[in-house]
Amino acid sequence: MEVWEQLVQGFQVALTMQNLMWCLVGCMLGTAVGVLPGVGPAVTVALLLPITTKVDASGALIMFAGIYYGAMYGGSTTSILLNTPGESATIITAMEGNQMAKRGRAGPALATSAIGSFIAGTIATIGLTFLAPLVVELGLKFGPPEYFALMVLAFTTVSAVLGQSTLRGLASLFLGLAIGLVGIDNQTGQARFAFGVPQLLDGIEVVTVAVGLFAVGETLYFASKLNQVQEKLEAIRGSIWMKAEDWKRSFWPWIRGTLIGFPFGTIPAGGAEIPTFLSYAIEKKLTKHPEQFGQGAIEGVAGPEAANNASSTGTMVPLLTLGLPTSATAAILLSAFQQYGLQPGPLLFESNSALVWGLIASFYVGNVMLLVLNLPLVGLWVKLLQIPRPQLYAGILVFATMGVYGMRQSPFDVFLLYAVGLLGLLMRRYGFPTAPVVVGMILGPLAEEQMRRSLSISQGSWSIFVTHGISAALLGITVIVLLAPFVASKLRGRKAAR
Amino acid sequence: MKAPGGQVAVAAGVLALGAGILLGSFYLPTGGGYAQVGPGMAPRGVGAVVLVLGGFLLREALTGGFRGVDEDAEAHLPMNWTAFAWVSGGIVAYGLLVEPVGFIIASLILFVMVARSFNSRRWPLNAAVGAVLASFIFAVFNYGLGLTLPAGILKPLLP
Repeated sequence: MEVWEQLVQGFQVALTMQNLMWCLVGCMLGTAVGVLPGVGPAVTVALLLPITTKVDASGALIMFAGIYYGAMYGGSTTSILLNTPGESATIITAMEGNQMAKRGRAGPALATSAIGSFIAGTIATIGLTFLAPLVVELGLKFGPPEYFALMVLAFTTVSAVLGQSTLRGLASLFLGLAIGLVGIDNQTGQARFAFGVPQLLDGIEVVTVAVGLFAVGETLYFASKLNQVQEKLEAIRGSIWMKAEDWKRSFWPWIRGTLIGFPFGTIPAGGAEIPTFLSYAIEKKLTKHPEQFGQGAIEGVAGPEAANNASSTGTMVPLLTLGLPTSATAAILLSAFQQYGLQPGPLLFESNSALVWGLIASFYVGNVMLLVLNLPLVGLWVKLLQIPRPQLYAGILVFATMGVYGMRQSPFDVFLLYAVGLLGLLMRRYGFPTAPVVVGMILGPLAEEQMRRSLSISQGSWSIFVTHGISAALLGITVIVLLAPFVASKLRGRKAAR
Repeated sequence: MKAPGGQVAVAAGVLALGAGILLGSFYLPTGGGYAQVGPGMAPRGVGAVVLVLGGFLLREALTGGFRGVDEDAEAHLPMNWTAFAWVSGGIVAYGLLVEPVGFIIASLILFVMVARSFNSRRWPLNAAVGAVLASFIFAVFNYGLGLTLPAGILKPLLP
């Protein structure tokens, strides 16, 4: 079968000494930034983008991907041992896992989440291996109008489905789209919204925005709002290994979590939030120990952890096969591809098949590395949690400013970074999600290009988006996704009135 | 119930942004050319949508506040403006100093100021940690990767 051949070819790329090393570096960095509060995979990949000028494409992308899924492993350690969840996808783990840690069962909680992440990551990678060629088949049939419609759908699901408010999600997305407009229009050479500032002609760098929102904004928020909040680090007492009963109670939640998480990652709906909540709800229903839920039930850690890992691997399907990023980190990965002049999508599977399959093969390798890094060596990462907050955040900002200044050696970028950081603080304070900004600014210019191509095919007629069947269907789904919550609440309102 | 002032201001900001983009788009050609659509088309669409979203936000702010945002909980966590000023000052100082004074000293100052914003007053320790971290990054970049971070006033002392 063709898939096997390509996978074998991929392993030949992934198993070279050099790429194994990049994979290990990525997994270690990923685990470290996953463990550390205040810095995440998006910022880390953004800060490392400059290495694309020094390292070959397969090595750099393997490392970046390792950071992405490695952070998922590391994040659970923090949520279990510290009573503050690192990111929204680990809220559930923080709840149930921290309860386990408080009862002296930190070991099994860490183990079930690491092994669950491994199982989920591996099954999801198998899913990716076999699903990707099928989606590529489909993608090859897509023309500009279909791509535009697909991007519109991705925009909507990324911003409207996630978070507490469709309205604020859309506002964040359009802020990102607006940022993406700044600079020279690459089709006509027309400068847009540069206000005569030469540094703005090249556009606003994704590094500045990602680091500004996620690192500077977070630091400003924590310094000025949460300074007084006390955190308590739970110690790992007793054995970290799971007992036979723990294995029995974890196994099916792992599998179910994976099966819930992977599809959520693959459809352009992004985010690992919904599948973790779903998985938790299902495990709570199916368990024989409902009384333990909320008090440290192992199923409540195993399921959601598997779900969030499977969904993060699932995100790779639309990213690699269609060039659609559905999370902030995936969007930055897309811009890493762009640094090499590569555009993820069906054509990449033909033109750079060794690179793509090497990347996919590296996921198998990376998951094994991460299992070792996160289980026997967990004590090492826990040490990172003992870095005192003042020095931790100070260090994060030293790296953040260095990365942004070093990019173009321009102090202007440092001030821009601060401005974006202020924006991030405001958004956090008023409940606006930040990920759609990054997705919008990276996907926006691509969507505009597809829109303009479509319109040049149709000689300026907008009807092209509805006369093409697939495009019309995708836009139809978009409208449903946008209006469904609104209509549902109206209907509920009417029922209540009756 | 009184409309939360901050939220009204945020909504007004979004409205202003939308108006600005829309206004700017009128200075860009929207049609013509081989592609039929010019560089002004996307900004016009984006500007119009931002304006509409700003309107909805304003309505939410005026009718009971943004949905799903707990303003009372926010009020229990008042802004610590001193901490805010330390972080802000650190970054702005870095931007002003990195070229004339050099990367290592600018980073050291940033490190100390951010640590201070989190209530760490161990000045000598923080300065030392900041200096070691900055020197390490400087060495890796300038001698390892061949990139040049500015040496500034320390230039005569460095290899």
